[in-house]
Amino acid sequence: MTKRSETTARTTSGRKPIDWRRAGLLFLSRYGTIFGLVLMIVFFSSMAPTTFFSRANFLNILSQASLTAIIAAGLTYTLVVGEFDLSVGFAASFIGLIVVGFMSYQGMPIWLSIVLALVVGVCLGLINGTLVTKVRINAVIATLGVGTMLTGLGFSYSAFPIATGIPRAFTNISLSRVLFGIPNPVFFMAAILLVLWIILNRTDIGQKMQAVGANIEAARLSGIRVDRIKMFAFGTAGLCAAITGTLLSSLLGSGTLGVADGYLLDAFAAVFLGSATLREGQFHIVGTFVGVLILAVGFNGLAILGAPANYQPIFKGGILILAVGMSALARRYAASR
Amino acid sequence: MLGTTQKSETSAFGGSMDARSPAGWMEIRGLTKSFAGELALDAADLDIARGEVHGLVGANGAGKSTLIRCLAGVTMPDRGRITIGGAELRQGSPQASEQAGLAFIHQELNLVPHFSALQNMLLGVRKATRFGLIDWKRSGIRARAAAKRVGIQFPLETPVSELSVAERWLVMIGKALALDANLIAMDEPTASLSEPESEKLFAIIRDLSRHGVAILYVSHRLEEVLDLCDRITVLRDGRIVDQALRGRLDKKGLVRAIIGHDIRAPEDREHFAANRSQQPIFSVRDVAWRSAVKGVSFDVFPGEVLALGGLIGAGRTELARLVAGVHRPDSGHFELHGQRIAVANEAEAVETGIALVPEERRSQGLMLDYSVDFNINIASLATFRNFSSLPFVSPAKGRRRAEGLVDRLGIKTPSIDAKIASLSGGNQQKALIARWLGAGIRLLILDEPSRGVDVGAREEIHGTIRALARSGVGIILISSDVEELAIVADRVLVMREGRLTGELAGRDITEARIIELSYHSADNAEREQRDQA
Repeated sequence: MTKRSETTARTTSGRKPIDWRRAGLLFLSRYGTIFGLVLMIVFFSSMAPTTFFSRANFLNILSQASLTAIIAAGLTYTLVVGEFDLSVGFAASFIGLIVVGFMSYQGMPIWLSIVLALVVGVCLGLINGTLVTKVRINAVIATLGVGTMLTGLGFSYSAFPIATGIPRAFTNISLSRVLFGIPNPVFFMAAILLVLWIILNRTDIGQKMQAVGANIEAARLSGIRVDRIKMFAFGTAGLCAAITGTLLSSLLGSGTLGVADGYLLDAFAAVFLGSATLREGQFHIVGTFVGVLILAVGFNGLAILGAPANYQPIFKGGILILAVGMSALARRYAASR
Repeated sequence: MLGTTQKSETSAFGGSMDARSPAGWMEIRGLTKSFAGELALDAADLDIARGEVHGLVGANGAGKSTLIRCLAGVTMPDRGRITIGGAELRQGSPQASEQAGLAFIHQELNLVPHFSALQNMLLGVRKATRFGLIDWKRSGIRARAAAKRVGIQFPLETPVSELSVAERWLVMIGKALALDANLIAMDEPTASLSEPESEKLFAIIRDLSRHGVAILYVSHRLEEVLDLCDRITVLRDGRIVDQALRGRLDKKGLVRAIIGHDIRAPEDREHFAANRSQQPIFSVRDVAWRSAVKGVSFDVFPGEVLALGGLIGAGRTELARLVAGVHRPDSGHFELHGQRIAVANEAEAVETGIALVPEERRSQGLMLDYSVDFNINIASLATFRNFSSLPFVSPAKGRRRAEGLVDRLGIKTPSIDAKIASLSGGNQQKALIARWLGAGIRLLILDEPSRGVDVGAREEIHGTIRALARSGVGIILISSDVEELAIVADRVLVMREGRLTGELAGRDITEARIIELSYHSADNAEREQRDQA
């Protein structure tokens, strides 16, 4: 006993030892998700070298990821300011329905339908924001309430799918490939993510959003108008939901009730995967994008390997718990030291 | 420089290194811990006798918390042994530490607010049951006995949220006793207590000590430590640099041991006497708010460090928050440079040039997960725009400002990209002050700026405050530390129970006078008598 402690004392006293376990855990907490993504790509590529590892399939993955990435990026903003938005999926469904309704039922031109749809999206976000900041309802309750109401409102607007009277030009928005044979939604995603990244990292309002999420009291005393910042985040989330809803209807060529509801869970999974990427528990756009890619690569790979569809939710839930759990453990270990 | 290796050597500061009692009940030998290659604790040897009140002092980052965390079992030391009553303590296990009779009371007092005092005392204790349900009556027997021992007067059924800070301390001590603690480590126990409350706590500590319970007393308040402790251990840079029995060390020697050099004696300093015929920078006129502030008026003149003295709960923090726009006064108003202002919220206050460095540094000031750079610049983002009309900010401009301020205030950080949470309390506080420098600020309110800050950093913060005042920024300094007021303030307004009770200027600012005005006045003495009856 004594002998052993003496020898350890001798070996550690000379140079400052590197704590490999701690370094490893820190690495895992920051780069674990990216490492996992690369690992998945390598795995699927080796299992299905021709079908998975091909330009066409990668474009397919990116295209599938686009709509999730847009809605998830908006959701990221609400989480950055320390709030929640559970209505984004329902809002996307609702807007996807009314945008084609505007064209089919009301006979509006495409551009007006889209502009109106986006305005409705922003308004929904601002309603969420008002309920949370002014009425001070817990964000989970407020946004869930608004989301639930939207499903009913959608049903009142059109109980049946809208599939007629939709101009070809509208479906072409997401179906055509304007540049290099890359599907259009990928460009929309790239542009929106870039803008949101710039706002979050290179503008006053983005810095203020981060401050509000980090410490709301400190943000107030620093002269930040906290409620306005939160309204901005909710408004952005609404706008992004509206864009995803519109693109989805364009992709499907129809408006269907509840068609985008499932994006809520995907978006949350992606955003939380992202919070464990590169940073320790902070929500950010690049992380969200990595999270979306992990989900998209996973779904695509599983489908190509012929896994039954019921493996998808198992994969989604499992990877979320694994990633978030891993980063939480690593963070706690790093903090306790 | 100090002889720590040879036991028999008398240290440079009057303490004797062989003050280590050979009859240690607890023996710590060669305790070493490093974090990321930095030695936080370097081969610390320490003995604590049964019933001893042992003071542990040192600057922030000197290793006090690491030592205590090792004792508590929440940090695993790299090396070293701890024996208690001859039995070796299993390290890195909070349960083992608790079973060995060690109890820890942190400044934050880990109590569940809406639980009763009794429920809190029984947290983590195996409770007696009856038919499988908790039998509160039987479970509470030991807790009630412990409550009696520490002199708890209030019913134990009271929710902790309704108790004062002092009463919460009693609950924590009672809890430790109910768990049969032989040693209670207390971290800055008097930081949030008033003088009479502190006195009561000291009486309890002395009583515990007589009954064989050792106290490890950690505090920045050196007079207290000198007065209360049987033995004092000084840590600096992770090493035990001095150990002295009571009476073998005076305050000057203690300060020197802590920081390694002398500080300027307060009597030597010059007082700035503001020209009272000038227009004041800031005026408070008959401001009242709820029951906390009852009609207060005063002026802040250019060049002076104006301080608000008094006890905790005198209404000073509330007044500061009124000025900063957190609350709106019920009556009265403020004037900035002679112009009446009405601010509706914190943002408007900041826009008019009024800022508050709050009392609660961590919960109200810092964005702990973010960098020093982010924390320093968050209030002046608009000045980093590439084009003033566009919202885009240039990170490079921000970095230049942050780097300049880190240099100017001597903020010790590996880089401006380091997380602010990794800095010591004093450096965090400097960063919070830096947030407002050069940000067009006209009035800066500092609420307890040196609480939990070590002696060296405190002196630097005082220098910064003084320099700001001389440069024409209005300063309102709030401090419950009378010694600090005597060192740094040019004029002191003493507040008691929401009212101003006196004004001291220049050489009249002495600890004795401030204390007198704070609570030794006629009606306060009356109240004390009432409390005792």
